This record gives sequence, C-alpha cells and structure tokens, in this order.
Amino acid sequence: MDTLLQILFNGLSVGAVYALFALGYTLVFSVLGVINFAQGAVFTLGAYFTYLLIGGAVGANGLLAGLALPFALPFWLALPLAGLAAALVSLLVEAVAFRPLRRRRAEPLLYLITSLGAGVILVNLIQLLMGAEGYSLPADSLGALPVALNLGGAQVRTVQLVLLGVSALVLIGLTLWLEGSRGGKALQAVSEDATTARLLGIDSDGMILLSFAVSGFLAGISGGLVGLSISITGPYFGIGFGLKALGVLVLGGLGSVPGAVLAGLIIGLAEALVPSELSGYKDAVAFAFLFAVLLLRPQGLLGRPQVTKV
Amino acid sequence: MIDPTLLVQMVLGALLGLSVYLPLSGGQLSLATPGFYAIGGYMAALLSTGWPALGGAAPLYPLPSLLLELGLAGALAAAVALAIGGPVLKLRGIYLAIATISLVEILRVLNLNLPFTGGAVGIFAIPQPFSDPAGYLGAALLLLLLVGLLCQRLEGMRFGRAQAAIRDDELAASCMGIDTARVKLTAFVISAVIAALTGVLSAHFLNTWNARQGSFDASITTLAFVVFGGSRSWLGPIAGGLALTAVPELLRPIGDLRLIVYGLVIVVGPVFFPQGLITPELLKGLARWWPWRQREAAP
Amino acid sequence: MHHSLLGRGWLVASLYALLCGCTSTDKESAALNSKDGLPIGAVIALTGNSSVVGQDQRIGLELARDQFKDEEPKVRLLLEDGGSDEQTATNAFRALIHGGAVALIGPSLSQQAFAVNPLADRAGVPVVGPSNTAVGIPEIGDFVARVSAPVSLVAPLSIQAALKQNPAIKRAAVFFSHDDAYSTSESKIFQQALVARGLQPITVQRTNVSDTDFQNQVTATLRLKPDLIVISALPNDGGNLVRQIRELGYGGLIVVGNGMNTPNIYPICQKYCDGLLIAQAYSAEARSASNEAFLAAYRKARGGAIPPQFTAQSYTAYQVVVEALRKLHADLPAGQILSALPTRELRQRLNAAILGGSYDTPLGPIRFTPEGEVIQNNFYVAQVRMNPDGRSGRFQLLP
Repeated sequence: MDTLLQILFNGLSVGAVYALFALGYTLVFSVLGVINFAQGAVFTLGAYFTYLLIGGAVGANGLLAGLALPFALPFWLALPLAGLAAALVSLLVEAVAFRPLRRRRAEPLLYLITSLGAGVILVNLIQLLMGAEGYSLPADSLGALPVALNLGGAQVRTVQLVLLGVSALVLIGLTLWLEGSRGGKALQAVSEDATTARLLGIDSDGMILLSFAVSGFLAGISGGLVGLSISITGPYFGIGFGLKALGVLVLGGLGSVPGAVLAGLIIGLAEALVPSELSGYKDAVAFAFLFAVLLLRPQGLLGRPQVTKV
Repeated sequence: MIDPTLLVQMVLGALLGLSVYLPLSGGQLSLATPGFYAIGGYMAALLSTGWPALGGAAPLYPLPSLLLELGLAGALAAAVALAIGGPVLKLRGIYLAIATISLVEILRVLNLNLPFTGGAVGIFAIPQPFSDPAGYLGAALLLLLLVGLLCQRLEGMRFGRAQAAIRDDELAASCMGIDTARVKLTAFVISAVIAALTGVLSAHFLNTWNARQGSFDASITTLAFVVFGGSRSWLGPIAGGLALTAVPELLRPIGDLRLIVYGLVIVVGPVFFPQGLITPELLKGLARWWPWRQREAAP
Repeated sequence: MHHSLLGRGWLVASLYALLCGCTSTDKESAALNSKDGLPIGAVIALTGNSSVVGQDQRIGLELARDQFKDEEPKVRLLLEDGGSDEQTATNAFRALIHGGAVALIGPSLSQQAFAVNPLADRAGVPVVGPSNTAVGIPEIGDFVARVSAPVSLVAPLSIQAALKQNPAIKRAAVFFSHDDAYSTSESKIFQQALVARGLQPITVQRTNVSDTDFQNQVTATLRLKPDLIVISALPNDGGNLVRQIRELGYGGLIVVGNGMNTPNIYPICQKYCDGLLIAQAYSAEARSASNEAFLAAYRKARGGAIPPQFTAQSYTAYQVVVEALRKLHADLPAGQILSALPTRELRQRLNAAILGGSYDTPLGPIRFTPEGEVIQNNFYVAQVRMNPDGRSGRFQLLP
C-alpha cells in the first residue's frame, strides 16, 4: 500500500509539471496552429531566473562569473517574478521568430525551424553568460519546512508536495481565467475560429501576444519548480522536458487544456510505474504509450477529431 | 577551402534531407529519418565488426561487403517501414511528426539497452572501405546522384503528381481515384531506405556508432534542411543539407559565438527565403541558362 | 530529358574533381611555418550537453599554456570546439591535423575518441586523451595515448575504503547513468569489485545523464534497505541523485565514481555532499612541486577554489606534450631547430618521445606503456567534507 502511495506521489508531482509545461505549448498551438520549439529553452531560463532572484550567484565559467543580484527574494516571490521574466523572453521569441514570418504569410512549417533556431540561441546564450555548470537552489529555499514527510508510510519530499500544490493552483487559476475573464474568452474564441473572432472585433495580434506571454509564464514557472525540486543541470536542462511535454501535448489532444492536464498526469504515473529493474527503458515509456494511443485515437485522448475538408 | 571530411558530412546531410523531403512532398510530416539512419548504421557496424567473413580484418574493407551491408540495411529499413507505415501514416500533421519522433526515441532507448549494441560506448573500430575521405566523398556523391535521379524520375511520373495532389488536398486526391494510402506508404518506404543507406556510409565514415546517432535533435535538424533549402523541388533539401551542415563549421573562426550565430542563421534564413533557397522561380530562371535546354514543356 | 540527366551527372563529376583537386594539396611533407611556435591542437567539448566537461578542461589547457610559455621550443595552443557529438569532433580533428598541429589533445568523450582517434592515427599525429577512460582507447593505434587512468584501476579503491569505514556492509545498491560511456564502464568495475568482496548488488539502477528526477528509483532502492550505495555518474546528474537519496532519508555510506571528482558537485548536492567517498585520479591535497605550481596557477586564476580532476588532467596532457617537445629540442644537434623537420617526421619523433618519457605532473609521476596507456603511481581516496554554509567544502584525503 505504501509502495503504491509512493508511486502515486512521485508520478503526480512530475506529471503536474509536465501538464503545466504542455499547457504552454497548447495555448500557442491553439491560436497559431504551430509548435514553438523554443519553449524548452524558456523553461530553462525560468529556472535560471528563479535561481538568480533567490539570490544565487553565477559560477566561475560564464561571462557573468561571480555576479549576483543585490537582493535575495524568498522563493514564493521569486517564482512568479521568474515566470514574468520568462513571459518577456517568450514575447521576444515571438517578435524574432514568429512575427516576421506571420507578416509574410509563410507556411506553418517555417515556424518550427525559426523557433528551433531561437531555442539554439537562448541555450547557447545561457552557456556563454552563466557557464555549463549545474546550479541548485539552496536547500532551505522553502524556509523551515522539513525536507521530507512521512505520509501513510510513503516517504515524500516536501518539494514534491510544493510542486503538486503550485501546479494545481496555477492550473485552477488558468482555467478560471480562460473561462471567466474577457481576455481568456477572447483567446478561446480566436483558437476556435480566428476569422469569426476578428469579425467579432477581437484583436487577433493581441491574442497571439497574450498566448505567448502566458505560455512563457507557464514554462518559466515549471522551470523554476523543477529547478527547486531537482536543481538546474546546465543550459540543456529543458530539452528533455520539452520533448516530454510535447508528447504530453499530443497525447492529450492538440489544443485541449483538460487533455494536457490528464495526459501530463498519465505520463508521470506511467513513468513512475516502470519497475526499477527496467529503469533503463523509462524514457521510452512515455513515447511508447503515446504511440500506442495515437494509433487507436489519432486525435489524442481529448482532442477534437481532425476536420477533413468536404 | 572546405575539408573533404566536411564535404562528406555535407553530402550525407543532403541525403538525410532528401529522406525527409520525400514524404513531405506528399504532405506527410514524417520525422522518422534518424531512426532509419540509426538502423542502417547499426547494421553496418554489427556486420563489419562481427562477421569476419566480410573481410573486416583486411587493410581495406572489401567493397562487395559494403554493398552487401547497403542491401541488407535497405531491406531491413524497407521491411520496418512497411510494417509500421500503414497505421502510422493514418496520422496527420503534427500528430504524425510526434508519432515518428516517438519511434526515434523508442529506438534510441532500445539501442542503449539491447545486449548487442554496445550500450553507451556503442560499437567501435568499424573497418574502413576507403583509405581517405575522397573515397567516401565519391561513394556519398554517387548515392546522392542516384537518389537525386530517382527523385527527378518520380516527380515526372504519376507517383509525383499523386504526391503533389495529396499535398494540396488529400481528400480531393482520393476522390480523383488516387490510392493515397499506397502513395504515402511508397514515399515512406523510399525515405526509410535512403536514411538507412546513409547510415551505412556514416557508420564506416565515423569509425564508430552509438545510440546518440539517431535522436530527437536530429529529427528536427533534418527537417530544417528541407525547410531551409526549399520543399518544392528535390534540389531544395540538397541545398539545405549542404548549407546547414557547413554553416557551424565555417563559423569556427568566431569561437564561442559560433552556435549563437548558427541559431541566428536559422531564425533569419526563413524570413528572407520563405520558400527556401531553391524555389520553383529560381529553377525556371536557371533553366534559361541551362546548356541543354529541355525541349518538352514541363508538366 | 536524357540530356539533362547526363548534364547533372557531368556536373556532379566535375564538382567532385574540383573539390578533390583543391583539397589534396597537403602540408604534411613540408616543414611547418612555426614563426609563432609549434602548434599544439586541443579539441574539447565547448558546446553541447557535455560542455560541463569541456569548460573544466579549457581552464587546464589555458593555465598550462601560460605556465609553460617561456620554455623552448616555443609552442602555441590551438583550441577547437569538439562539440558533444562525433561529427563536430571529426571536423575539429581534421582541421587541426591539416593545420599542422604537431600533437593533439582531446577529445572530451570516449565515444568521440573512437570516432576521431583513428583519423589522427592514420595521419600519424600523436593524440593525448585528457579524459577518455573507456576500455580500448590506447589500442586504437600507435599514436594514441591517454593521461586519464582507466576506471578499472581507480574505482575499486573507494569500495575498499567504504568497507574499512563500515565492515558490516552487506547490502550494496548500484546506480549508473547508462547513456554515458564513462559511467557505464566504471559501473562494471564497481560491480566486479563488489562481487569480489562478496557483496552481490541488491539492485542495479540505470539512469540517464539528462535525468533530473530519480525519486522512483531512489524510493524503490531504499525499500530494499541498502547499507552502501555506489554511484557512477557525471557531476550534474550524480549530484542530484545524491541529494535526492539523502532527502529521502538514506543515512548510510555513498561511494561515487571518478566522474564526480570535481567541486562542481558542491552547488548541486550542497550539504548532502558531506561524507561521499570518492576514488580520485587527482587530488588537490596531494603534495608535490608540480601540484603546488598547478594549484597556485589555478588559485590565481580562479580565487580560492579547488581544481576539478578534468582540469588537472587536461593540464597534464599539455604538460606531457610540451615536455616531450622540450626533450626532442634538447636532443637535436646544435644549430638545428625542430620546426625545420618535415612535419611527418616531427610528429613521429614526438610520439616516440611522449611514450618514452616520464613526467612529474599534478597527477603525480606518470609514464606510458608502449601501447599508450598511462601508468600512474598515485591514486587517492577522499571523503567530501562540506563547510557549514553548505556551499563549499573539500575532498579530504583518507589515509
């Protein structure tokens, strides 16, 4: 029983982050119909921003060696600020890699490549400025909370609970915003039918910017959370997560918010259920699962069936 | 002056570009190329190091053995592609892209864990069929020429027109009586074979082979070859593969900024060449200067 | 139609002739233009996901370059990015071989070494590997040597030390990152060493270098109640793993591999690094004139920090090449200079000198087998002692 509980906690806490990250992809996809490959790098940046805001100093290898901000914020304040900074970077990515192509009405395939290029630039900039070494948030980032708790026989790291809690809060907030606010409703309208939305007087350029900002915020927050839980393992830190989140996005069904959440939790749990003797295959589990689901349900778990022109 | 080693890599890049291009010219965003490339590489690495009868101990690996590897790798890739192509190609757009990337990742993890693929170290001391890079360049160019001719031929045939029709509108194409599933599967299989043959040459050329040779990064990079070079003619992916393989190497003099500038090239390139380097208009323009002008009108 | 096909074939053929024509001119038979010193090439991972190794190595090379710059003959360091893949390393090696490098230092990864060392060997350019530890590297050819001791020698010592600290150990668990050549080879040795002492591992867990979340594997392992955990990993993933193991409540001994012999682990596992047992091919606490000089140079460049093993090893690789050149230089008849020798011959003689010499380095006294394998006298076992701030610490040598 305690084993199962343990697996449940492990799976859900990772899955919640996958879900958060995948939602960022979903928002941009539902508005523009393209995937933003720079998202993994924005996630990485979110983690670095959190580290810096919490008062961490740059290591010895980058151009910024030894630099530290003149203030140190508590984690609960640093995380949303890092999310905002990541949102700004995401807007920059939009301006550099998406807007010029949109102006020229280029085919969507090109966005994959330009956003990939933007990701390459960001990752190598991080390395140039902060070096390739790993960074870790101080062990006392969460204040006086104990490192691990015993819940019904399962040993659970406190950061896992924080991860789960913060992800849940952000997800609820996002859903309320999408369903209840004017901005959120407009975003949904654009994602459902851009032309009609324009006729209704919704500024679709503004909505695109909004989707990039929110998705950057989500990526930044997930990066900061993972950085807290695990530490930042260098400039390539976000690439693996980016790929997994992409899988989550497709598994849930493109453009579906509940789908992304469901799929994130499923993949997290599926990975947690891999017996430890077969841990070498862990990375394949998410993809094997995704592959199998796609063959049975080509639109993903909760995606709308693909429209075929008649 | 470009080093012949880099030239070999550029030509191999062009071949991978063509492998992505073939399904794409029928509207299929399949990114399975690195997977089949890995299959080809492992085939070459395992056969040439593990089967003494092929002549791996000789100072120069015999060319007939290399041809045998090419044949077997092509056949294996074709078989795998035939087996998975049916269900996979029912997927569309990004779903197809992610499903094929999944295949590449699953294969990579298998290659790390299987007992005979050498784990993380991989397989090394792969025998050399050529004594210098010029030999590899010859072989790679020959393969590129053959694949290029094949593409040229296919585009002129009914198959090419069917591909174009599917790319424009799959439903309409099937209404016109085109067997879309068959056309898509054919392109997928040819693409797999090209990737596997390229993998065979690469394994010998690199002296070693390991699981990192077919990865998610490679999926996206090879797609970039096609998009950057132009996806409307088979010359596009060749130009893209040659150019994008060369750029990071030619940027060596700028040192630490190398990959940042490479990223900039990828971001800025499509803005200036939204149709890729090689566009139909460019080809028409060039055709006027072509010494053997075609008499027949283009279809 | 046929015309155009023929035309393309002709185009390709002439392109080929042109390309081969211009690249076949070769400098190897000629003597070097060495006005600015004899070129020593170095290829290390400055980009890609192994750049954490390369950035440590770069410091070592640059320190060695400054340290030995006044010696005769004059040399210069040509540093090229070998990336973290085989293709980039291949291009870097080719460029340096054709650029007339008298010897090459690199590449960073064993997998890369299997790809590029054969190129240097065929071209007759001596290679000194600063960090390739996989089995089979010196055997690539006559021109291939390494200063990085194979893991088979270093690893078992730390198991011995663990058993000395706690003779009651019965249940050993093993972790290794299975997509890293270094860690995979090392873990095999660790497991053999455990079995040799009657400790059949109770579990062997495979992780990935890019993994960040080990909680499933750690909790599964801790349920088996291990009293020794042995880890083969690189600094980032290994440091993380240590932290998660400790946070989940494990209190026993942890032995880590040589890949984690770097203060770069301090910021990752922080206070949880304390107590780690590690076998070292380099110790900053070893007393020798050579190590003092290296430490002084490192401190001057980097403040009070302790140099990582990768830095010491790349420094040593450069020192080996420079000292071999110095010996060649000293043995020349009066009036002759090294750079007047044909490049091919110079490289050949340098290779013989490298393999024949013995060197007093930060790693301690070293020499080579005829095959190019390093013979290193001193290995160390250290225990990590973290300072109360949890940010800095030291590798305290065990007797």
